[in-house]
Amino acid sequence: MRSTGHDQAKKKDIWQKLHIDLPLLVGILCLMILGLFVVYSAGGQNADLVVRQGIRLGIALVVMFFVAQIPPRYYLKWAVPMFVVGLGMLVAVLLVGTMGKGAQRWLNLGFMQFQPSEVMKLIVPITVAWFISQHDLPAKLGNILIAFILVLIPTLLIAKQPDLGTSLLIASSGLFVIFLAGASWKLIGTCVGLASAFTPVFWMFLMKDYQKQRVLTFLNPEQDPLGSGYHIIQSKIAIGSGGLNGKGWLQGTQSQLEFLPERHTDFIFAVFSEEFGLVGVSLLLITYLAIVMRGLWIAVNAQQAFAKLLAGSITLTFFVYVFVNIGMVSGLLPVVGVPLPLVSYGGTSMVTLMAGFGMLMAIGTHRRFIAQ
Amino acid sequence: MTVANKRNKAKQKPSTVAWRFYVVLSVVVIIYGSLMARAAYIQVVEPDMLKKQGDMRSLRTAANKVQRGSVLDRNGRELAVSVPVETVWADPKIVMDNNALAMTDHWQALADVLGQDVNKLTSRIVRNPNKRFVYVERQVSPVMANYIKELKIPGIHLRKESKRFYPSGEVSAHVVGFTNVDDKGIEGIERVYNTLLTGTGGKKKFRKDAKGRKIEILSVEEAKPPKDVVLSIDQRIQTLAYRELKGAVSAFKATSGSVIVADVHTGEILAMVNSPSYNPNNRSNTPVHKLRNRAITDMFEPGSTMKPLSLLTAMEFGVAEGSTIVNTHPGWMRLGGRRVSDPSNRGDLTMEEILIHSSNMGTAKLILSLPKEFLLDKFFDVGFGEDTGTGLVGESSGMMHDRARWSQFELATLSFGYGLAITPMQIARFYTAVANGGKKLPFTILKTDKQVEGERIFSEHHTADLRTMLEGVIENGAKKAKVEGYRVGGKTGTSIKAIAGGYGNDYVGLFAGMAPIDNPEVVVVVVINEPGGDLYHGGDVAAPVFSRVMKGTMQVLNIAPDNTRVVTASKKKGDTNA
Repeated sequence: MRSTGHDQAKKKDIWQKLHIDLPLLVGILCLMILGLFVVYSAGGQNADLVVRQGIRLGIALVVMFFVAQIPPRYYLKWAVPMFVVGLGMLVAVLLVGTMGKGAQRWLNLGFMQFQPSEVMKLIVPITVAWFISQHDLPAKLGNILIAFILVLIPTLLIAKQPDLGTSLLIASSGLFVIFLAGASWKLIGTCVGLASAFTPVFWMFLMKDYQKQRVLTFLNPEQDPLGSGYHIIQSKIAIGSGGLNGKGWLQGTQSQLEFLPERHTDFIFAVFSEEFGLVGVSLLLITYLAIVMRGLWIAVNAQQAFAKLLAGSITLTFFVYVFVNIGMVSGLLPVVGVPLPLVSYGGTSMVTLMAGFGMLMAIGTHRRFIAQ
Repeated sequence: MTVANKRNKAKQKPSTVAWRFYVVLSVVVIIYGSLMARAAYIQVVEPDMLKKQGDMRSLRTAANKVQRGSVLDRNGRELAVSVPVETVWADPKIVMDNNALAMTDHWQALADVLGQDVNKLTSRIVRNPNKRFVYVERQVSPVMANYIKELKIPGIHLRKESKRFYPSGEVSAHVVGFTNVDDKGIEGIERVYNTLLTGTGGKKKFRKDAKGRKIEILSVEEAKPPKDVVLSIDQRIQTLAYRELKGAVSAFKATSGSVIVADVHTGEILAMVNSPSYNPNNRSNTPVHKLRNRAITDMFEPGSTMKPLSLLTAMEFGVAEGSTIVNTHPGWMRLGGRRVSDPSNRGDLTMEEILIHSSNMGTAKLILSLPKEFLLDKFFDVGFGEDTGTGLVGESSGMMHDRARWSQFELATLSFGYGLAITPMQIARFYTAVANGGKKLPFTILKTDKQVEGERIFSEHHTADLRTMLEGVIENGAKKAKVEGYRVGGKTGTSIKAIAGGYGNDYVGLFAGMAPIDNPEVVVVVVINEPGGDLYHGGDVAAPVFSRVMKGTMQVLNIAPDNTRVVTASKKKGDTNA
């Protein structure tokens, strides 16, 4: 690896000392810069929006940098306390949280609004990875069941807020750990079977009407083109009118003319697609794929089981983000409020995401550090 | 458990976990592939539909409303004008949002002024609470509109529209036609010249945003201002023709009738009337048959009015001239087993006498001496089987068969006007050619200044000879067609109407003629369809109408009477003809 050249090796050392994974950083910065341009276009060419997003990105990058400095073994130590505090906050949200848009997701800390579910996105995989790595791999059935419970409790608490998108993301982040830890295919099959058997119950008792409506709308958006189907139809129209080469930056009619709802947040992919066409979409997806590949590469090369599992989980959760958002915007999946990571306008989730990348970088770089 | 220990344990079975990573990796790649495929499908396979949907949402075309042009007669008299009216419409959503239905008194007043039932009115609004536009009443007068405005019911609005008014009423109804409630011409001139009358109201194509604000103007089509249409119709002649026709149709208990007055030099139609007519200002309960412009739509066998054409054809070919005498003895003959006959044996007849007595024998004998191609060519030349060029909606081209085989009997009947069916307009067109010295002109319903060259189909001196004969017809035969003060020429026709499987008991009484005979200015054709009284001959039912219409036309057109010179003129005529 080092045989490529002395200078390169030296350069690599600098990044290594800073605990920054260069390929990952390049991919992330590409998306962030792209995101600023698209936010400018989608937000009605509002420079304020771009500045605010830029500040947010800066903060997120700083957070990432600091998180990357923390060696992964510290997470191991703090896993249990963090999990307990996190659960406590989730309960607190349900008890004293502030309402917004029909859901109770926020804690008012006096000086700022805080969304505990965001932090749980990282705490849950850490905790599960910690728990599983305490035992032999592949994990035994009993341990897997305990791990399941560790995932289920925060998931249900968040689903209760209700925040379906986040709860699904948290559940999957935990489940990815279990999967990577070596749950047998038999067990996975059983779970999938149980889950599908559980679906009607879920549908009838747990899902709110608006959530049911989203699924129905997903199945047939044209049934109510002006009501619940509006989002998805407008978004498909925007994507489709981009064609192969797109209409050009700032030229998308569907988005610029405000036909498309949530243009600069959850539906920013539609704006991007209209303005940059299939060519742009392909490049975007390749960039995301590159980031995921790099994350998996870090995971595969991690030598501690904990680090491996955590890195895998963080990467796959990021992947799920991308998949759920693009799938939703292009009509492959029901509408779930998940932003397009690193591109969508928005704060909290960006910071969490970047903290995740910081951990990923820590896993990648500290390992090498240790190896030396 | 130490870190080293754990690392060992992880190393013990790295294959399981690594293998899982590869599974995960391939799943990730597959899912990205499917996202890409999805985008490609939407953007490359489906985009036309989606682009169209996008444009449907953002592209709008706005038309500037303009008031429809007027229809005028040749002297500028208004035949169709637009008057401003207002249309009452409701925005049910606003009505419901303001709970305006609670203002029952106001609604009652609104219903009263519109003559509607208040419950029906409100239920239409209650039934469509989310609609944004419902017509309440179209085209109310400005006074009513003012009253409604004063009621100030939220959600009840007025919109300016224009309504057509036809000052000439039933007189010119068939020519002018009418518009529907959306101001679109659907009959007559209103339909044919709809685009001219409406103009193109200037279109603006623009993109709008989701809130309906105009974003960019994509194209502007310059407005073509609406134009007035000036007809060749002279409303004075039109009126008197209609009056005379209506009188005759009623007096002779006919089912219908038509009169056409045409300028023989320009091909302009000076009058075109039908009876029964209708009131274009109030068409409710008008039976459809009354809407028909029979002068151009109805065709029938023209009978004896075609005999002048046969004689002219014979002269053109050279088998006859003005002084030719035809022996019609014994008053009948057999052609291929079928009989052609006159009412009585008239013996030797001059050309003029053939027309005066309307002798089938004389006409048949003359044309049987011609090659049939020549005869048929002339029939086509005068415009049978083609429309007359007015461009009016629903004009029939008549039926003139272009077939190779014609029996002698068929040719004989053709020569006296059976075996073909034509419209009154086509008769008028033939007589126009006779009157103007042998030129076939396209007819026009629009006023025109330019002299149309026309197509020469007869030689000038043969038509002059024929006109002399036609004058004789009126002098010595159809005396009811005489016009005081003017020398006129014309020909009667009384054709039996064909019904399914043969001929019935109904007749068409016809008269076609021209004046002044030396240098004709106008042709008048009168059709009285199915006279139901004792009189049914063209010379009895149609000739009097011809006489009065022609006289009025001469006076209206300010044509000097020529019959004061009748003595000298007839002397002159005697000199030349001797």
